[in-house]
Amino acid sequence: MEDQLSQTFGALADPTRRAILSRLASGEASVTELAEPFAMSMPAISKHLKVLERAGLIARTREAQWRPCRLQAAPLQAVAGWVEHYRRYWDESFDRLDEYLRELKRKDSKNRVSKNKEKEKKHVRTQGKD
Amino acid sequence: MSAHKAKTSSTMPCSEWDLVITRVFDAPRELVFKAWTESKHVAQWWGPTGFTNPLCELDVRVGGTIRIDMRAPNGVVYPMKGVFDEIDEPERLVFISSALDEKGNSMFDVLTNVTFAEQGGKTELTMQARVIKATAQAQQYLQGMEAGWTLSLDRLGKHLDSIQESKSSTSSSIDKQEEHM
Repeated sequence: MEDQLSQTFGALADPTRRAILSRLASGEASVTELAEPFAMSMPAISKHLKVLERAGLIARTREAQWRPCRLQAAPLQAVAGWVEHYRRYWDESFDRLDEYLRELKRKDSKNRVSKNKEKEKKHVRTQGKD
Repeated sequence: MSAHKAKTSSTMPCSEWDLVITRVFDAPRELVFKAWTESKHVAQWWGPTGFTNPLCELDVRVGGTIRIDMRAPNGVVYPMKGVFDEIDEPERLVFISSALDEKGNSMFDVLTNVTFAEQGGKTELTMQARVIKATAQAQQYLQGMEAGWTLSLDRLGKHLDSIQESKSSTSSSIDKQEEHM
């Protein structure tokens, strides 16, 4: 399971699968129950469930006849943890960008002031010639 | 916001993002876009606190490459490469970036969509990121990186504390220390 994280991200990239997961967050459900809110064939739902199962996001109970699906939290936590780190990385970068833009603006306004002064000087000079 | 654009784009078959960050910057949109697309500017802010970018090359055109070496305060270098997917000056940037391990293999690929919206002289920036690939190493990578910057903040804090403590006795040597920082 080298690319477990990739599989989890891939499984989460689909709106139907996310909906299935959020349904399972409130408790076990059978495949029929899970299929109910979607205008989808049972084989289509089964396909989604297989993807989720392969990503380790759900488990199906073997004992019960109706084999309910259950949410497995660990891979979700891994993904959430990674995203949280990534967010902090960007928050930090954006803090620096914010600071840097202030710096650029200060320089820019200074340049503009000195350019305006030059213009004024030139203006005075040409006026003097007339 | 130009979210509707993202949906119609061919590079984004899926509307869902793993991470969305929105920030308002007190600068005109052209300037913010410039800060994202000119190497000399990007090198000044890319990466967490205390990081520097000894290598920063951006070839800003569709298909153009990105190469950035981020250097953590503890000296560790984090190389990354990327490629621009879409450039719509000054509104939008789409690129795929990959963090590389020591052999140059990608540990994670992230599709990033950055939109720049004008907001009365300010700029609302929205960054949407979707993970395309992430190996098991990806987790340690970010954690290590984070340790690099939080540690350096710690050290800076301690350094400042020690300056405070010795302020009264040796004020001239402190000035020198501060120059080094």
